[in-house]
Amino acid sequence: MGRALVMRLGQAVLAAFGASLLVWLMLPLAPGDPVDMILNAQRVEEPTDQHIAALRDRFGLDRPLWQRYLVWIGGVVQGDFGLSWRTGEPVLSGLMRRLPATLQLVGLSFVISVAWSLGLALVAARWAGRWPDRLVLAYTRLLAATPSFVLALLVLQFVVVGMGIGLVLSGGAGATLIIAAAILGIDRAAGWTQLLRAGLLEHLARGPADVAKARGARPGRVLAIYALPAALLPWMTALGISLGGLIGGAPILEMIFTWPGIGEHVLTALSVRDVPVIQAFVLIAVLAYVAASLVVDAMAIMLDPRMRHARPA
Amino acid sequence: MNLRRATLSGPVAPPPRGILAALLHHPSGRWGVVLGAALAAMAVAGPWVVAHPPNVPDYAAALRPPGSGYWLGTDATGRDQLSRLVDGARRSLGGALAVSVAITLIGLIVGTLAALAGRWVDAALMRFVDVIMALPGLIVAFAVIGLLGPGYVNLLIALIAADWAYKARIARACAFDAVRSPAAEVSRQFGVPEWRVVLHHVLPPVFWPLLVLGTLGLGGQIAAISAFSFLGLGVQVPHAEWGAMLADTRFLFTVAPWLLLGPSACILLSVLASNLLGEALRDLATPEGRS
Repeated sequence: MGRALVMRLGQAVLAAFGASLLVWLMLPLAPGDPVDMILNAQRVEEPTDQHIAALRDRFGLDRPLWQRYLVWIGGVVQGDFGLSWRTGEPVLSGLMRRLPATLQLVGLSFVISVAWSLGLALVAARWAGRWPDRLVLAYTRLLAATPSFVLALLVLQFVVVGMGIGLVLSGGAGATLIIAAAILGIDRAAGWTQLLRAGLLEHLARGPADVAKARGARPGRVLAIYALPAALLPWMTALGISLGGLIGGAPILEMIFTWPGIGEHVLTALSVRDVPVIQAFVLIAVLAYVAASLVVDAMAIMLDPRMRHARPA
Repeated sequence: MNLRRATLSGPVAPPPRGILAALLHHPSGRWGVVLGAALAAMAVAGPWVVAHPPNVPDYAAALRPPGSGYWLGTDATGRDQLSRLVDGARRSLGGALAVSVAITLIGLIVGTLAALAGRWVDAALMRFVDVIMALPGLIVAFAVIGLLGPGYVNLLIALIAADWAYKARIARACAFDAVRSPAAEVSRQFGVPEWRVVLHHVLPPVFWPLLVLGTLGLGGQIAAISAFSFLGLGVQVPHAEWGAMLADTRFLFTVAPWLLLGPSACILLSVLASNLLGEALRDLATPEGRS
């Protein structure tokens, strides 16, 4: 077990280092002179030579590449991602100020999503092949084909505005948060439901469940004891992997609901190519994702003996 | 908006019957073919059929509700909604198709090369693929757009960058076995040149799983193109694209609710069509799925 854990940890460290190198490369790789990009991001039309020289010095653009990487990564380790090209404020404090709102949204939508898909998958598996199962399948097909921003617009139009509960949204941050998180979570739950349903059905068809059924155990009991625990672990691993989608899907919902998270901040940075802000966002998101999948895999290794001998994929 | 990574288990091979006939016999594949054909026809033939130019504003006709002349109404600058939907189909569907084809080709080339070259080329390529695969696809797409700037072509490049690594890994796994398969070994013994061995015994078993995965991923690409365009990072004004059209109409909720329906339905139906097609192909291509 220790060996498998160490190997998985090594993999995560390699991924984190590779990601940091790729993220840093964004700057020297970006087409065009960085100074032009900075001036563009600050919307300066006619810069003086002095201004340009000051910028080159301030952002360390005259040093060799390897020095720039070391300086950059040294700063990043200490939480210093440099200054935003657009506003000149430290990148990290700009992101951190908005991060709690995003974490609220992502966290709540994760909880909603897990609860919703767990319930639906259990209903589908309990009455497999009968009408509740077919209904759940049709529902997940439809929602899996609906991107979260389309679902958000439709809900806003036909539920919030159409039913005249638009005032709820102006009622405060709580209502906005719940509606946005519910939409993000319910949209994401479609794929997760399909996954868990397939796992439950697989384990219901295996020997132990058959024996229990032959013994006369009630279907709900067979499901809860012989299928659910076995199907839950691979499902949780899959949830950890798709957390990245939840983090990446948040900005678009934040924009629609004008939720003051990092989404809007990053979108502005993207549209004016404010590279330090984009670098920080990408690196933080990647590290969160690498850490999450590490935790999930470590759990799987500790709980499932078969994983201890498996070669890391 | 998400780039789902589809998975396959077990060997994958073409169905024994003709592929279209097999799809039409498959319960969900049938609907996928019908829907997909209708949407493709709209993208290819549509622009010659519609009555109005998609990008020319006509302020006198702004925000007309659906009716004669403008079947789906007009937007805030009086452009015909139906014409723009049809025009947008080329960018949404064509772009997703281009991304999927590019990803499949890159995966095929990188994976086969790694398996053929072996040793350090294989190791170096696959470690690089490992690092890319450890990054969430959407974040990679954000990063590439941050690097290149917003725009339709840049968006397509970003989506290719986000998703090629997984295909390369699958291709390498399939090619690794195929290069050492008995059929390939026998051919070599008989003096068949290596390029013909690759053409006949390595590429086919690599191609099929990639085709199935490519079709399964098409829906995610369509959703991603519309989502990034909705955010203003993809297709730019004045060009029509379903996600960008939704962005134009999102402040007109109470004034012109009809503008929301067309683009939403188009996105939903095309993602649904490619999901159905992909699932049917997966069923047909894996032995246990054939009945």
